[in-house]
Amino acid sequence: MKGFFKTFEHDHWVMPYLKRYKGLLTLVLFLGFMTFFCGGALMFNSGYLISKAATHPFNILMIYVPIVLARAFGIGRPAFRYAERLTSHNWVLRIVSAFRKRLYQSVEKQAVAIRQKHQTGDVLGILAEDIDHIENLYLRTIFPLVIGWLLYLFIVIGIGYFNWAFGLLMLLLLGIIVVVMPLMSVAVNGKREFQARQVQRHFYTRLTDAVLGLGDWLISGRRKAFLGQQDKPIDEIARLRRSDHYFQWWRNFAIQFLFGAAVILLVWWAGVMFTGNQAQANWVAAFGLALFPAVEPFADMSQGVSEWPVYQDSINRVNGLDENVPQLAPQQTVGDFADLTLDHVSFTYPGAQRQVIKDLSLTLHPGEKLALLGPSGTGKSTLLKLILGDETPDSGQVTINGVPVDQLQTQRAQLMGVLDQQPYLFNTTVMNNVRLGNLQATDAEVRQAVKAVELDDLIGGLPNGYNTQVQEAGSRFSGGERQRLSLARILLQDTPIIILDEPTVSLDPITEQHLLDTVFDVLKDKTIIWVTHHLTGIQHVNQVRFIEDGQFDMSGTPQDLYHENQRFRDLYDMDRGR
Amino acid sequence: MIDQRVFQFPGIRKVIVWQSLLTVIQAILIILQAKYLSVAIVNLWKLQAVGTIVAPLVIFAVAFLGRHLMTVLKNWLTYPFVESTTKKLRKQFMAKLFDLGPSVVAQEGTGNVVTMGLEGIDKIQTYLMMIIGKVLDLAITPWLILIYIALIQWKEALFLLVIYPLIIFFMVILGLAAQAKADRQYAGYQRLSNHFVDTLRGLPTLKQLGLNKQYAGNVYSVSEDYRKKTMATLTIAMTSTFALDFFTTLSIAIIAVFLGFGLMDNTIQLLPALVILTLAPDYFAPMRNFANDYHATLNGKNALTAVLDILHRETPTDRDTLPAATPVWTPDDELHLDHVNVGYDADHATLKDISFNVRGFQKVGIIGASGSGKSTLINTLSGFLSPQAGQITARGTQVPHLDQAAWQKSFVYIPQSPYLFHASLRDNIAFYTPAASDEAVAQAAHRAGLTDWIATLPDGFATQIGEGSRGVSGGQAQRIALARAFLDDSRRILLFDEPTAHLDIETEVDLKQTMLPVFKDHLVFFATHRLHWMNEMDYILVLDHGRVVEQGTPDQLQAQNGAYVRLRSEMEGEAPA
Repeated sequence: MKGFFKTFEHDHWVMPYLKRYKGLLTLVLFLGFMTFFCGGALMFNSGYLISKAATHPFNILMIYVPIVLARAFGIGRPAFRYAERLTSHNWVLRIVSAFRKRLYQSVEKQAVAIRQKHQTGDVLGILAEDIDHIENLYLRTIFPLVIGWLLYLFIVIGIGYFNWAFGLLMLLLLGIIVVVMPLMSVAVNGKREFQARQVQRHFYTRLTDAVLGLGDWLISGRRKAFLGQQDKPIDEIARLRRSDHYFQWWRNFAIQFLFGAAVILLVWWAGVMFTGNQAQANWVAAFGLALFPAVEPFADMSQGVSEWPVYQDSINRVNGLDENVPQLAPQQTVGDFADLTLDHVSFTYPGAQRQVIKDLSLTLHPGEKLALLGPSGTGKSTLLKLILGDETPDSGQVTINGVPVDQLQTQRAQLMGVLDQQPYLFNTTVMNNVRLGNLQATDAEVRQAVKAVELDDLIGGLPNGYNTQVQEAGSRFSGGERQRLSLARILLQDTPIIILDEPTVSLDPITEQHLLDTVFDVLKDKTIIWVTHHLTGIQHVNQVRFIEDGQFDMSGTPQDLYHENQRFRDLYDMDRGR
Repeated sequence: MIDQRVFQFPGIRKVIVWQSLLTVIQAILIILQAKYLSVAIVNLWKLQAVGTIVAPLVIFAVAFLGRHLMTVLKNWLTYPFVESTTKKLRKQFMAKLFDLGPSVVAQEGTGNVVTMGLEGIDKIQTYLMMIIGKVLDLAITPWLILIYIALIQWKEALFLLVIYPLIIFFMVILGLAAQAKADRQYAGYQRLSNHFVDTLRGLPTLKQLGLNKQYAGNVYSVSEDYRKKTMATLTIAMTSTFALDFFTTLSIAIIAVFLGFGLMDNTIQLLPALVILTLAPDYFAPMRNFANDYHATLNGKNALTAVLDILHRETPTDRDTLPAATPVWTPDDELHLDHVNVGYDADHATLKDISFNVRGFQKVGIIGASGSGKSTLINTLSGFLSPQAGQITARGTQVPHLDQAAWQKSFVYIPQSPYLFHASLRDNIAFYTPAASDEAVAQAAHRAGLTDWIATLPDGFATQIGEGSRGVSGGQAQRIALARAFLDDSRRILLFDEPTAHLDIETEVDLKQTMLPVFKDHLVFFATHRLHWMNEMDYILVLDHGRVVEQGTPDQLQAQNGAYVRLRSEMEGEAPA
């Protein structure tokens, strides 16, 4: 329970929305309450109706009101339920829209930080799922709980109206069902859920490991070991599920037990209370039957609450998102690009020992083309992050026209375009994807850009042409084609500086050749910084630099290096298969 | 309503018999419970002393508790069957995965297979736990109650009997209408709900394009659009529940009014009337329960289909045709492929008419543009894929495929990104030979050029690597795979599939120096489009669109001036500066 309050102490994802959409929320709760009220009232009314009828009143009009009421409650219950379900879903989906926008904005502000904090796994998928969890928190836990409590209060006050002492007794007895049982469910399930999640995660890793490494397992011939290592988590999952089930059965039985006791007490009390005369006695059946429809919402409360631990995790995670939002430096703008300068830049990742970039200096002027090479881990990608302003140097400066890049972040998309290893294509049409480079571009301009990257024949030949869906992550197109579409996007973006971050790493040599030819052809007027893993197409640049251990090692024009540097010549020849 | 295949699980008959018996008892208890509660109420109504309701209330209490105990008992009797069945399914599933090999993963997708083994089987468990009880409840309880009501008052019983199919009829009609509408919207629906994750994943790109800020509005409006579409579907989808709810509740109200008139006309007494009224909700309860869990049962059914589909797949037979041999490959051993066709689906071959012979410790280069079938050939040589036609002869034995236990013990397979298990570095290196001594592992790691790197690791050989643990660069992963080959010296065949394509050139140079010594005294198949490796080969297969278009020694191919020369010049690109 302590965890419960702690979760909401600094919460700004769940509670604020309950407050903001108060009106609809009240409506949902009202409708939910009315559903069960009508259910109970139908039985109450029916009990009274037949008791009254059994006294043979001389006129049908004497039972006319209960007859009408029976129909009213009979229609009311399903109608309210229908309305409640629609309203609550509408309410929750409305909140989800707000959530998504907010989650997007949080992630947007600190995309870099999030990726560092959660090393692996599909953190974005997890965050998106968290929102679904919060959606369920409202629908499956909060609403049933509050509606159940309203119903509980209504029953207790209704009985207390006739007899406060008996009302108090019901308060205690039903209180066990609606307060103690849910609390117990959270306590018991919370612990088990924690264990279950660990076991499940363990099984998940093992299973993924087994599936991804299946080829190696097969080659190893260790069938027994393969099956053996799954046995333990499988048994453990079964054990946890079993205790989970047992707990649920007996908890539900206990709820029914208490409920049965409440019914018996109610009948007994009605027997004592309403036996003064026949008119009074007609109410006995009403009270005796009225409670039964309440058992369903009461039992649902415990079930809903026991899902809490799942939601708790999600709430904590999204709440944690907004902490440590990086602050943006005061922004400036610059005019036409004149130079990009790295001035004695050094950089170490926070918390790391090793200096990734050591005292690097470099100046690029408009139209210059630089290729950066070096083994992985030597700081190539870090250098790009520093140039883009995603990271800030510990000492030294990265400047454009003399202004540090961290002060140019709002203007960044007008200064620098990026083509990286896997540029993202959104699940929409070709036209929309390319136009992302410049939302003001006309259809003709988009077509022109696509023509420049030599895809016009391909796109034009598709049945839907430019309106073809690229499908999830652009899977409609091959790797080379995706790169070309992204290149078209960059052409529309029309920035003076272009950063190429190993755009050809996953392509075969022929595709790679052709793509590089196109890239350097259409970008011939731009300033280019190109990180590459080998020397194919190196003749396109006028400066090559090798980074070794955070510092520049070999550098020069490719022609000079080839003629003067033995190591470069060896690498170059090897790359060409000699 | 119930999947026929459920009946094939062993032990289910016993469960059904017990459940049926308990359901009958439960129905009787429900009737008793209603009857004695009514007796107590009627006694009070007749203004009798409170003492007269003690006995009926006690019987009510016993029946009420008994009824709910039956539920617990039913679960308790069913659970062991469900548990052992799902556990067995999980283990069978794992065993099947191993027997089917990586081709099934390639077909179904990694995520799909993992989900099936984990959540899919969970859903089956829920399904099994639910379906038997619900169906029996539906088949027994309402009818026993109805018979009892008929014995008291046939008119009300007739009404309840007639309304039953009517409710189901309306539910189905509305349900089908909703389904049709939902199906129509599903495509657009799915796209909208995936849009959000799509946007989050594409965020770096949005940032590069300077659209990151304004895209937030887009996220909101798409989500609102999604809400409106969802609500439109829900409004219809929920009508079928509404119909069920409406008719059952209204039926109870109508029964109450009927009974009121009957009482006024004196055609019925209060006690039977009250019993009928109390029993009416229980008459409808099984149907409502079944409808409420309809979606869960549907999910369970689909999961069952998916898992059984995998379990019923045929596993390659004749895995022991090739006799074991020590050493596994000698300089005189030969491998022949004769007109072999290989494909991922039955009527479409990816590799066509492949024929070649290799002998002893040859180094065979496999070269071709992407999509020419290099990986398919390596997967055939490793036995992950079985030929559709043609003959393979290994060490003089004709085999239907190379998924041979003895063959698989004779090679090491090194793909572009070798899979690293979520385990210690030592266990990863000793994956084929878990019993290897620490010295041997250290020696193999040394020969694979890992020593310097291992020295920087906090826990040395005990460092956990693999997914979610310490990052290992592409070059190091290759070296770990090489260390496996060094450690298990008995494996004399090496299968490489683009091992260096994604490495930077300097790492590739270093790695090549480590790799070349392993080639000695090994049969090597090396698929790549990095040309310089061809200089180390003594036999080359040139693939194009699934066919071997040229084969021979490098000198022969150079002299022929055919496909090989053309491919090389295309891959080399422009002449040096």
